[in-house]
Amino acid sequence: MNNNELLYTKRMKVAELLSSDMSLLSILQRLDIRLGFGEATVSELCSRYGISDELFLMICNIYSFSDYMPHINALSSNDIRSITTYLRASHRFYTGVCFPTIHEAIHRLVEELDEVSRKLIDKFYDDYDSEIIKHFRYEEEVVFPYIEELLEAADPAEREYSIRQFEENHSNINEKLNDLKNIITKYLDESYSSPLRFELLQNIYNVESDLKKHSLIENKLLIPLVEKLEKGHE
Amino acid sequence: MNKDVKYKIVLIEPSEIVATGIAELINRNPEFKVVQTLSNPTYYNANNNDIDIIIINPAVIDYNERLDIRSYFGNKAIVALTHGIYEENVIRQYDDCIGIYDNAARIIQKLKNALEENMQTPKSDINELSTRERDILTAVAKGKTNKEIADEFNISVYTVISHRRNISQKLGINSIPGLTVYAIMNKLVDMSDFE
Repeated sequence: MNNNELLYTKRMKVAELLSSDMSLLSILQRLDIRLGFGEATVSELCSRYGISDELFLMICNIYSFSDYMPHINALSSNDIRSITTYLRASHRFYTGVCFPTIHEAIHRLVEELDEVSRKLIDKFYDDYDSEIIKHFRYEEEVVFPYIEELLEAADPAEREYSIRQFEENHSNINEKLNDLKNIITKYLDESYSSPLRFELLQNIYNVESDLKKHSLIENKLLIPLVEKLEKGHE
Repeated sequence: MNKDVKYKIVLIEPSEIVATGIAELINRNPEFKVVQTLSNPTYYNANNNDIDIIIINPAVIDYNERLDIRSYFGNKAIVALTHGIYEENVIRQYDDCIGIYDNAARIIQKLKNALEENMQTPKSDINELSTRERDILTAVAKGKTNKEIADEFNISVYTVISHRRNISQKLGINSIPGLTVYAIMNKLVDMSDFE
């Protein structure tokens, strides 16, 4: 968690942001920002990578400050495209980096379990995995294309979908992850490999907290911006 | 004393201003009466079986002593009266929680709710499942619907839902697949029930 109460600004050094909240590392990772950026400020680094510094700051502030509400009026429709690009990159980060790590650790853990527990945990995780992939796919195949279409603003009159429906479908993807966490922490027999369990839990906690931020970006940035866009078309 | 009074209350609150104000609001309602106001729980007379509700400011409990409010006050509805921010697991021990900005109607509603809560769930061991809860968890793990469970145990669907809420809260497991995993691991149901 971060230990100062001031929001980040464009003139701050990126290294300073990271030392106040290390969870921001995962943002850099999914944006393919390479480390070794020296004393670069937020503005400098963003312009080097062609990212809107306004948007980058909002994302970082959402990550670090739970009460923060972004001023979405400062963003343009171009930024909406950047948000969906960012969210897609996030999905790739989860499915390409976070979940395989967890899956691999689970595989190693269940090898030690009795057959019943092994089957159970394996199946539980696989179900979760396919659920979350379905969730991401829905966003990428239905929600984001809808938003991109809206931005093109061809003829919105015959629109059947609206971002409200997305909000309604936005089911709690963290519930099962939380269950898994509690099963491994509290209910799996004490005798099973502790170091591996600690490592696995650490990974689950990390991805769980990152997924929460991911939802916040959708709820605090994407949905209000798209709602504004929808109103503009009416 | 007024004969219509149904529920008697002991109020434990160190601030005289707050205590007088809350007692005044509660006593306007004919069903409830604050019969005693104390500044500190050590003055409480544990043999007082005539009392239905304890309202207590959690700040007066010395957490270093880890006072177990349930064994201290016996089987009464216990309501927290808070001026500040507390951790959820502190508040969860109580049957309900009155905030300093609640109006009279809200306070009365919470007192009623606390009485009901206290009757439904004996909270002696906070995180252990009761026998009834284990039975219901077993049925949930076997894939039974709330309606089927209600019929089987001869209780209302509402009660089933309330049991399920308590089970999930105690275990920290919300999804049905998660509950099933728990039930099998603890041998409440057998893997063969699913094959």
